[in-house]
Amino acid sequence: MIRTNRQKLALTSALLAVAALTASSLPAQAASDPGVTATSIKLGITVPMTGIASPGYNKIPGAMKAYFDYVNDNGGVNGRKITLVIKDDQYIPSTAVAKANELILKDKVFALVGTLGTASTKAISASTQLAKRGIPSLFVNTGFSGFADAKAYPTTFSILPSYQMEAKIMGKFLAEKYADKKLALIYQDDDFGRDALAGFKQAGITFGTYIPYASGSQSLPATGAGWISKLKASGAEVTVLFGVSSASTAALANAYAAQYKTQWVLGSVGGDATTIAATNKAYVPLLYGAKGFSFAPAPTDATDEYIKLFQSIYATAQPTQTFDNNVVAGMSNAFLAVQALKAAGSDLTRAGLIKTIETKGASFANPFLTPLGYSATAHVGATGYWIGTYDPTGALKPDGGKYTVYTTDSGNGPVVESSYKRPAMPAKGLPN
Amino acid sequence: MIQFINMLLIGIGAGSIYALMAIAMVLVWRSTRVINFAQAAMALLSTYIGFELVQKTGNFWVALPLAMVLGALFSALIEIIFIRTLIKHSTSGPVAGIVPIIATLGLLGFIRATIGFIWGNQNVQIPAPLSKIGFTVGGETIALSPMNLLVLLTVIGMVVVLGYIFQKTNLGLSLRASAYAPEIAQLAGIRVGAIRTIGWAIAGAAGAAAGLLQTVNGTGALSPDSLEFSLLLTFGFIAAVIGGLESLPGAVLGALVLGLVLAVVQIYISGTLVFIVAFVLLLVVLLIRPQGFIGAKAGRRA
Amino acid sequence: MLKKHPLLGFIFFGLILFLASNRVDELRVFQGATVAVYVIAIASIILLTGYSGQVSLGHGALLAIGGYAAALSRNHWGVPVWLAFCIAVLAAALGGYLLGLAAARLSGPYLAGTTLALAIGLPSIANQFSILGGEQGLAFDIGLPPATLGADFTQYKWFFWIACLAALISIYWLRNVMNSRYGRSWKAVRSNDVAAELAGINVGRNKVLAFTVSAGLAGLAGALLAMTISTVSPGAFPLTLSFSLATGAVLSGVTTLGGVMIGAVTLVAIPEIVDSVVSRFQSSDVVANNLPGLVVSALLILTVLFVPNGPVEQMRARREKRAKS
Repeated sequence: MIRTNRQKLALTSALLAVAALTASSLPAQAASDPGVTATSIKLGITVPMTGIASPGYNKIPGAMKAYFDYVNDNGGVNGRKITLVIKDDQYIPSTAVAKANELILKDKVFALVGTLGTASTKAISASTQLAKRGIPSLFVNTGFSGFADAKAYPTTFSILPSYQMEAKIMGKFLAEKYADKKLALIYQDDDFGRDALAGFKQAGITFGTYIPYASGSQSLPATGAGWISKLKASGAEVTVLFGVSSASTAALANAYAAQYKTQWVLGSVGGDATTIAATNKAYVPLLYGAKGFSFAPAPTDATDEYIKLFQSIYATAQPTQTFDNNVVAGMSNAFLAVQALKAAGSDLTRAGLIKTIETKGASFANPFLTPLGYSATAHVGATGYWIGTYDPTGALKPDGGKYTVYTTDSGNGPVVESSYKRPAMPAKGLPN
Repeated sequence: MIQFINMLLIGIGAGSIYALMAIAMVLVWRSTRVINFAQAAMALLSTYIGFELVQKTGNFWVALPLAMVLGALFSALIEIIFIRTLIKHSTSGPVAGIVPIIATLGLLGFIRATIGFIWGNQNVQIPAPLSKIGFTVGGETIALSPMNLLVLLTVIGMVVVLGYIFQKTNLGLSLRASAYAPEIAQLAGIRVGAIRTIGWAIAGAAGAAAGLLQTVNGTGALSPDSLEFSLLLTFGFIAAVIGGLESLPGAVLGALVLGLVLAVVQIYISGTLVFIVAFVLLLVVLLIRPQGFIGAKAGRRA
Repeated sequence: MLKKHPLLGFIFFGLILFLASNRVDELRVFQGATVAVYVIAIASIILLTGYSGQVSLGHGALLAIGGYAAALSRNHWGVPVWLAFCIAVLAAALGGYLLGLAAARLSGPYLAGTTLALAIGLPSIANQFSILGGEQGLAFDIGLPPATLGADFTQYKWFFWIACLAALISIYWLRNVMNSRYGRSWKAVRSNDVAAELAGINVGRNKVLAFTVSAGLAGLAGALLAMTISTVSPGAFPLTLSFSLATGAVLSGVTTLGGVMIGAVTLVAIPEIVDSVVSRFQSSDVVANNLPGLVVSALLILTVLFVPNGPVEQMRARREKRAKS
């Protein structure tokens, strides 16, 4: 009797499943690219909105939407209004793939934009076969250099400089400024940190003390204190930290508690003063004197025309949120996306968009202080960094009073001082 | 030499944080015999309540006891509404093992989402009541600060007070009896339901203290998805198991052992091995002495 | 007829799925593949917890072993896909065997805690050995569908077929195992291990066997999961996966295999349904972020409180009660 029930149940569930599946089948796709109509463009983003990796990153979609709304209010892109569909992937690759499939197959977005996380981006690209379907994945939020390879990822475009680029530039800076000082390195023990090691090796920098930490362990009580203890014992005069901002927070706070003085050099991921401020306002003064790296204008730089515009847009759209590096990242991403869509013209297709970025991308107006490297063979975004020092309020001020940018590649190329002059912002901050 | 002393202090400091969590877990286990993710949720909620109280009163020393009281009340409420229904509806057998775990997991998710609704998903900050700068001994700053001392004293205080309650009072006897053999306790005239609620209330108070202290001792940042909280729960659990789930002093000892071992690994070996070592330590203790260092031999059969 | 020949039932079901895959759109096909993966994974938990009475909160780690084994064997030795899956099963079964040896001496919270710690420690282990690809993970490409199926045959349909075939074979096999003397001895140990020991069952070996078999299934699920996302990385097997599987098992009814599809479908369908309902309302960021989690948790709590044995058992109990009265 039990067996009959079980069979019955299995059969019933099967029929139900089939009914559900068939009921939801949709009609065949239209001939033109999905996500584009005469009056609208639909873009999609997968990003951790909740979950462990979300604080900070979950501000990016809101920032992007703020800029898109501004553009829409001013006529849109070639007469089309942009909608951004936001999906929470909780930084889990399988969730990211599922959500990306929803974006592509259900919401039928024109392109993905700002996908976050190396593992998630890789999974989405492989599983949803972005290349085969020709779906653009614009301006992914990761420092993995592999996405810039146009052969491996023909429809994906980077935007951030890679971790190797940063490490190489940092290495040159260390070699020039601190050639005779004792160096120490705190780094995250995964691809993020190991990319940096490769970059430092290329720059010919060796450290007296290496302090790797397991990703996640920086939030444990003993970890930061342990680092400082080791640094004290090693007598390091310059300490480089290539990790996430929770690691910088732990390092700075524990250095303060132990009254340990060193010259801090913070990587761009970990050196975000506003993320640190969001953790604890009391830590911001601890940044004073630390060196930081960035490729965009500092969010506190009110003299920069892009920052001024972004601040005013964001203040109206999200009055309760603080304006920080995540917001600048999001709005810059959105700006570049709008610029690319505009340049692709009224006859908007996926292939056309990709071609446009490849051919004209390097000359797009954008907030970054480094040149963009987009070409048919390399989908490289920002290519360098400027170096600054933190003042007591947590503002990163460029060394020498003006932004001196160094550029390089992710390979064996040299680090050079760039003579790039950022083109003036288009009128009202609307790409043309 | 100074690095060795600092390492000891760092290990003890971390251990005392784990001990806070471990105590809360042992309390829940001893009074309810349930592995309880809801405990984590309630500690988180109580910490947020503590945050609100610090904001409103500007005084941590007022906020802490108030948060503990509210934590206790809230915890008791959860027990009455949630746990009693759970026990009523689930039968015994394997289901009784896993269903409460899943139910409390659901509760954790529910409370997390509610916290996100009320307070948002970004960090909020609780300023530390005491200085975190280490004491200076002979010209050297050591890895012990007034804040560390506060945590240590709280742990000791909790063990003493709770130990007294459990071992020396009738309430404690009823708590232990109700958890270990509810039917027999009922036959002996103990109102098992009410006692269990009290047990949860005590655990709720301990959890509130643990959450608040651990937050201000750390970065002071609080968010519904806080990585710190999740890690501390795991390590608190490992500490509790190492020390034996049955005993409060054992939990503290286990926590100190864990803290010291991890400090040694991080400072003298490599920071990349932290999670692996914690897991191996847990495994080793479970295989060699499952009842923990202090637990009684009979404690293994759940 | 179906009662006498359950195999026919499975074949029939397989045919239905095959027909369905041609009629529905890509997203459903992909979700179908995910459901099939979850079916196997949840079945492994039902075996371990429902039949053998051992609680595992870290099954994600066993899925990860399977996923990595499949990816490594394919990337380094270029094995054909079916062999990669077999290697995944064996590797995970080995892991399960070792874990089972440790677990046989543990009970209740200790076992749960150990499996939990394993699930948490796993990403660390993956980062230690660069052959495992670190945080970025490894690619896992099962290749394109064979040309004989036609140019129109999409990648996801191929995933769906493979996953469903694996699921049908696994469930059929597991069902037979559970109805065999092994299944009966597991149930005996679960009900009363002292009595079982007295009846001549080697409790320790029994439990280890359950763990091993369960782990093998989990490894297969892990390899199939890796197939659907075409990569394997530590982040793909987070703690929440272990929790989801345990949740799915409880939703299905942890003591019986019959409802396993319910849990699997729920795990895939609910987030999407909640998402689309939430996005229907023009809500603020805070609401949009937290409402899905709230609804899913609330549903879980209600289900667990009022249908703790799972719908299948509930129906059976109700039928028995009716039969008695």
